[in-house]
Amino acid sequence: MTPSEKHLTEKESLDLIAMMINKAKNSYHDTGIGAMMWGSIIAVCSLVKIAELQFDFKLPFDIYWLTILAIVPQIFITIREKKERKVKTYDDIYMDYLWLGFGISIFLMIFITNALFNVWEPMAIEYNQLAGHSSPYDLREFIAPLFLLLYGIPTFVTGAACKFKPMLWGGLLCWTCCIITIFTTIKIDLLLTAFSAVFAWLIPGIIMEKEYRKAKKGLATANV
Amino acid sequence: MQQEKFSPEQSLQLIQTMINKTRQDMSDNSIYFLVWGWITFIGCTGQFVLKHILQYEEHYHVWWLVVIGIIFSIYQGSKDGKKQKAKTYVGDSIKYLWTGMGICYFVLSMLLTKIGWGADVFPFFILLYGLGTFISGNILQFKPLVIGGIIAWALAIGAVYVAYDYQMLFGAAAILVSYIIPAYLLRSRNKTANQ
Repeated sequence: MTPSEKHLTEKESLDLIAMMINKAKNSYHDTGIGAMMWGSIIAVCSLVKIAELQFDFKLPFDIYWLTILAIVPQIFITIREKKERKVKTYDDIYMDYLWLGFGISIFLMIFITNALFNVWEPMAIEYNQLAGHSSPYDLREFIAPLFLLLYGIPTFVTGAACKFKPMLWGGLLCWTCCIITIFTTIKIDLLLTAFSAVFAWLIPGIIMEKEYRKAKKGLATANV
Repeated sequence: MQQEKFSPEQSLQLIQTMINKTRQDMSDNSIYFLVWGWITFIGCTGQFVLKHILQYEEHYHVWWLVVIGIIFSIYQGSKDGKKQKAKTYVGDSIKYLWTGMGICYFVLSMLLTKIGWGADVFPFFILLYGLGTFISGNILQFKPLVIGGIIAWALAIGAVYVAYDYQMLFGAAAILVSYIIPAYLLRSRNKTANQ
């Protein structure tokens, strides 16, 4: 984009400067709805999966498909937020690409792990039949760590770039849990995934939303 | 207040200047991309030659090349650290992104130590190559990086359907399109711009 391609209004220009000043003041204000929603969904999916393993039942569908369904309201929320904001700041552009890249990567990770699982499962069954005991390499053990690895990236980068410590620590927590899950059973892996989702997204989302509402209220009062 | 003197055009110019400055900085630092890109490229193709063609059992030893990359990065990093550079918001964004990616590669390596490097590891690395370059390319508005990232993602999907040996070649191709070629293009573009 070059200066000649888009002309900002004076208000838009002032918004841009205000955003940069806020950045310098370390006060980042954004709605936390998206983070809250993703945190809750991942935590619920992981807990349902633990229940399936613990109580030996199987839902007629993979609970993780809920994450795909959650994309639809997420798109609506994003569009609404953007409309409310009126001007697209550099911050928005950066976050959009970061989370878009993350979304594509999650989709690819689901695809890759499913494809590898389809190859591994018949081999594991055959191994079990021939050897009389299960295969020492269990691909399912590594699914949760791989996803935790990905969860850490946008969370850490958002926290660092927006100077929002709860998310920065949340991202580091995802990676720490990822390393721990290498040594734990599937149930503990899922429990740590739920734990990470709550601390990396849900809680920071609540804090973000609270600060956003406070900032919005302050702005409304100032405009009265 | 300064706000009144800052016109809309100046605001956009400021952003464009930050992006150009970061592109220049990235071009200056492209040596890291190139060293790591070439090490990974040689590692992937070398492992393929040792394993598939020469049928050498300890083919994975080719990855000791990484030590050269680490030593180089520490040496170059300490040298660059002494230079004072102007900071920009875009530059900081890129720095945070690649810090995150660096941690991620480290954690993935730890994970794969447990899974076993003989398992299908390449699609995961290729996926991460794509992620870092796709975001960087969009932030810097530099198309070769964006395209490189997208091709890397396509190669990650393709790698799932080939045998382990050929996954190495997919890894080599991904690093070539997402790191090496964009780094050279960024260098030559900035060289031309500076002349």
